[in-house]
Amino acid sequence: MEERPYRSASGAPIALRRRQHSASCREVAVRCPRLQLRSLSAATSAVWLAAYGLFVLSQNSMVLSAAIFITLIGLIIYLHFVKIDQESLLVIGSLGIQVTSSYASGKESTTFIEMSQVRDVVINEAIHMQKVIYYLCILLQDPGDPQGVSEVVPLFQSSKPRLDCLIEVYKSCQEILEQRKTAPQSS
Amino acid sequence: ENSPAPLPERAIYGFALFLGSWFGFMLYLIWAYVPETWLFSLGLTYWPQKYWAVALPAYLLVVVGIGYILLFGINMMSTAPLNSTHTITDNYAKKQQQKKFQEEAIPALRDIPISEVNRMFFLPEK
Repeated sequence: MEERPYRSASGAPIALRRRQHSASCREVAVRCPRLQLRSLSAATSAVWLAAYGLFVLSQNSMVLSAAIFITLIGLIIYLHFVKIDQESLLVIGSLGIQVTSSYASGKESTTFIEMSQVRDVVINEAIHMQKVIYYLCILLQDPGDPQGVSEVVPLFQSSKPRLDCLIEVYKSCQEILEQRKTAPQSS
Repeated sequence: ENSPAPLPERAIYGFALFLGSWFGFMLYLIWAYVPETWLFSLGLTYWPQKYWAVALPAYLLVVVGIGYILLFGINMMSTAPLNSTHTITDNYAKKQQQKKFQEEAIPALRDIPISEVNRMFFLPEK
């Protein structure tokens, strides 16, 4: 188990941790950049300065208490619903793929995709917000069409690792997925 | 048949447009600047309000400005999201026919599936 530093698409430092549990089970976890103290202070100062300006204009002291409440509740909502701390991928050959996102408040949200639905795990490039980014995605098999792809599940959406990190994750996943072809098909 | 070369018909169209646009511009200047009483004395009474001589150009400029933002927004909305299959394939790629492989010939152009492309790029060949 080793942890290596990489960069996200926007330049923030992220860390990749790979574990091999057994010959057919791999786990890959990407730790997202932490909440920066300076951005938190900047946001809080901006909200409080605006509230103080409103207070000077309206002479209503409720504006200041409301600003404090908004800052606190906004921070809690951000940490619980928006800020992702770690995204991990668990590939178990012949069983499936599990995608976990852990939020900064401790909440974890998990998605499991059965192996028979998984067609392939590929690195795709697409246009995202005036940039072309590489991202890892799971291609789901179309049940009616053996050559078709019914759905694309993008992974690591918050940490957005760069291509060098994605290639490592891709190689780990492909080592497990290749075993599907050599192993006998079980219905 | 469809060449951009100058032709007699195109010269006539161009001259007609040139005269028409000059006439339209002169008409607009007369409507905007000549006082209403002079126009009434000539018998030309059914003109739009002169307010529009200033309002329409102002509206047009705002439309041009909004057009920049609108085009940018339409572009962003038409971009396929990251989870759509349009980033991988489309109707033409799904319906393409496989051509027979001929020895010593350049292979036919076709859309290569993304799994194959990934394996070629990212998995080192032993």
